[in-house]
Amino acid sequence: MAFKSTRLLLAAAFIGASAFGVSAADFKPENPECIAPANPGGGWDFTCRQVGKSLQDLKLLDKTMQVVNLAGGGGGVAFAEVVNKRDSDNDLIVAASAATATRLAQGAYPGNTMDQVRWLASIGADYGVIAVAADSPINTLPELLDQIKNDPASVSVAGGSAVGGWDHLKVLIAANAYGINDVRSIKYIAFDGGGEAVTQLLAGSVQAFTGDISEAKGFVDSGDIKVIAVLSPERLPGEFADFPTAKEQGVDAVGANWRGFYAPGKMSDDAYNAWVGKISDLYASDEWKGVMAANGLAPLDLQGEAFEQFVAQSVAQIQKISKEIGIIK
Amino acid sequence: METFASLADGFAIALTWQNLLLALLGCFLGTMMGALPGLGPSNGVAILIPLAFTLGLGATPSLILLTSVYYGAMYGGRISSILLNIPGDEPAMMTCLDGYPMAKKGRAGEALSLSGIASFVGAFLATWGLIFLAPQLVKIALLFGPAEYFALFTLAFATLGGVASTNQAKTAFAAALGIGLATVGVDTQTGVPRFTFGEVHLYDGIDFLVAIVGLFALSEVFLFLEHRHGDSDAAKHKVSVGRLMPSFSLLKSCTPTMLRTSFLGFIAGVLPGAGASLGSFISYTMEKKLVDKENTFGTGDPRGVAAPEAGNNAAAGGALVPMLALGVPGSGTTAVLLAVLLALNITPGPLLFTQQPDVVWGLIAALFIANFMLLAMNIPMIGLFTRVLLIPPRILMPIVAMVSFVGIYGISGSSFDLLVMIGFGVMGWILRKLDVPLVPIILGTLLGNAMENNLRRAITIDNGNWWTLVDSPLSITLWSLAVIGFVLPIIFGKVLKSRMRMKKDEEGAVID
Amino acid sequence: MSDRIFGVVGLLLALGYAWAALVIEESFLSDAVGPKAFPLIIAAVLGLSSLAIIIKPDKAPEWPSFMRFVEVGAAIVVMILYAIFLPELGFVIATALAATYLTWRLGTRPLSSVVSGCLTSVGIYAVFHLVLGLSLARGPLGF
Repeated sequence: MAFKSTRLLLAAAFIGASAFGVSAADFKPENPECIAPANPGGGWDFTCRQVGKSLQDLKLLDKTMQVVNLAGGGGGVAFAEVVNKRDSDNDLIVAASAATATRLAQGAYPGNTMDQVRWLASIGADYGVIAVAADSPINTLPELLDQIKNDPASVSVAGGSAVGGWDHLKVLIAANAYGINDVRSIKYIAFDGGGEAVTQLLAGSVQAFTGDISEAKGFVDSGDIKVIAVLSPERLPGEFADFPTAKEQGVDAVGANWRGFYAPGKMSDDAYNAWVGKISDLYASDEWKGVMAANGLAPLDLQGEAFEQFVAQSVAQIQKISKEIGIIK
Repeated sequence: METFASLADGFAIALTWQNLLLALLGCFLGTMMGALPGLGPSNGVAILIPLAFTLGLGATPSLILLTSVYYGAMYGGRISSILLNIPGDEPAMMTCLDGYPMAKKGRAGEALSLSGIASFVGAFLATWGLIFLAPQLVKIALLFGPAEYFALFTLAFATLGGVASTNQAKTAFAAALGIGLATVGVDTQTGVPRFTFGEVHLYDGIDFLVAIVGLFALSEVFLFLEHRHGDSDAAKHKVSVGRLMPSFSLLKSCTPTMLRTSFLGFIAGVLPGAGASLGSFISYTMEKKLVDKENTFGTGDPRGVAAPEAGNNAAAGGALVPMLALGVPGSGTTAVLLAVLLALNITPGPLLFTQQPDVVWGLIAALFIANFMLLAMNIPMIGLFTRVLLIPPRILMPIVAMVSFVGIYGISGSSFDLLVMIGFGVMGWILRKLDVPLVPIILGTLLGNAMENNLRRAITIDNGNWWTLVDSPLSITLWSLAVIGFVLPIIFGKVLKSRMRMKKDEEGAVID
Repeated sequence: MSDRIFGVVGLLLALGYAWAALVIEESFLSDAVGPKAFPLIIAAVLGLSSLAIIIKPDKAPEWPSFMRFVEVGAAIVVMILYAIFLPELGFVIATALAATYLTWRLGTRPLSSVVSGCLTSVGIYAVFHLVLGLSLARGPLGF
């Protein structure tokens, strides 16, 4: 089954007559395309669509960026597709996040490693939060962790990722930092997405929620849940300033779900630099600042080389934690 | 009343020429995509997202276009179910059971118009439910923890006994097969791949659209090939379409069914994770249990057409409740709509109704408009739809096969999916020959994952205690309903029947 | 007899499924139930229902003659070839070929089959690609 120029397009209302061959110096993507490695509705899909829309609004792209949903294997299908079949595509970028790094670190994309693709840039970070229901007797992170320490069976923590995934790791990182040694005793319940996890927190089925700020925001505003810790190095600006950090409560845990893009490994340098330039211009724009504010994205301004190093670091860090807590050998 | 004032505002927003045109376009495209096997409502909406973005539409017009497609697809799915015995999308699966037999009896026109009206009633009532009950209904969703969801899904499977096959062992086999297929792929609880045999394409599991199109559409093609020289061809030509509108008395006799199933479907829609398929399924089986005294369901009973159609359209409306009020999609389609909302910088959640009332009420007004438009569009077009029956099968069947391939390939772009679909087609053909019902297989692939995940969540939360499954009044109710209503009759039904027969004989003897 | 064979196949399927469930490599970190339990329950249901089918089989269906089997088998082969060569040939050509074959085998005269096959292909292309905007396989000729 050799695919040639097979395009896995959900959304292709506007491929007109396509042209080949791109002039080198002044690279302009002919058919800009963004793969969201999950079904519509998730963070990756949001990343692609929002960035595509803003790039066009800012005239950084003169064509609409096609968003292609290529779900499977927690992003593994898309990663393999890019590496194996579209390795030299200059028009393609792929949405990625801390979850991508987590899976790469844990070897969950069989046979794939992070240096098979080129990492472009980040567009912001969504810091992790730990929350409880508004009527919960627990008010601080240490109180929650104490209860877990004394009676792990009494606390179920819900999150939107699978066991060993990023939402789960955040709790484990915090627990580890608090001195809970057997982190495997922590009861983590995996739901299909953060929304469902919060709903079950409201329903009283679980006692705590681990997720991203953007997932919790609506429910904090409505007063249904309270955030007992945000896993950022210091307090966030603006409307999130009320959330106490884990650090100030004596739990030295930081967890940022960054969002960004990678590109095929054999993308030409011209194209790579052009894409990096476009995304940095986007990041610097006022429009993007507005999008970030509306979605609870915190600043994380890394492009090109710097971003590549950042991803390498976070992969190494996750690998270390995962080994420590025994998820991988 | 405040609600009506808000609704009037909503209509003021929705009733512009541009929006009406968008609604018309959406309804038309939606109906078409619903009717074509392989393209369901969720894909239909996803396909049109870029259109909304390229046209540079604002929040409300985009939502009007996309919800029109959503409702339109729910209407359209029934058309191929009734005419070809091939469900256009997964919720329309139940409409095949009585819709196709009705068409075979020469009542295709009636079946189409009746189901169109039932769709309208379901969607209409659900939209009112959305207006008045959304905030309260969220509380229903909050009653359902993992244990209750598991009980609900078990209830759905318990009701299978009433559908289709006479051989319960085969029904159980089909359901287990479907659930088994659903477990293929990466386990969402622990992240380990299961039954994938190292094939990356299987990591995400088997798409139920691939299963449904293969099982229903391709197997139909194989059946025709098998009987090519039979007289089925000639017989088909004589098929009469019958009257186009149902008689008043027929409508009247179906009205209680429509009202009941609208309610049931709506509730099923409100529960995240249950969705329209469960809505139409439960509607059909419950209605069969309730009114099918002469055992005519499955042989072309009009009520069996009205029930699932009212149910699935009501569920489509119900599914908007958790999406808007909790930000939790209740079905595949609402997941796509949620993505659109987010991309438009609208954050659904408990405060959406107060913070962005213009969006919510504009959307609700759009639902009403789309619904009326669909009814107005669908009824006159029935004559056109039924022409499909006049195309000889030797031409029609290849078209059906090719449309199935395109529907799947156009979405996933994967030859692998096509091969899996052919596999399902062969399987469907053999299973049909052996009189194994296909509906339980689809239900299994649709609900299997959710069923397992909720089971495991419930038990993990309660530290490995399996009794947690029957720990709340709600779950006990659901379990009792499943056991008393559906499981016991199957086990004791035969015993009772034979005893009754004996009794009758005895009585007869006495009279003699 | 058909049902008995079917039951045996089902039983083997259940056993194979249970075996495949047992060899799932569990991750170090698992939930209370684990990834194996539910498939094993399903395997049990599958096995029991297969047994029930073996014990109480229905009447055998009417199987087609050998020639008809070949007919269906050939159609399956054509469909598989279609799936494999679709990305190579492009949508319109591949679909026209497959549709022509199926139309012909369903009893249309060859010439009409070609006409019908081509019309089917172009019609579907128009609806799905031009109207709905789905991207279909683009062959060497661009369609």
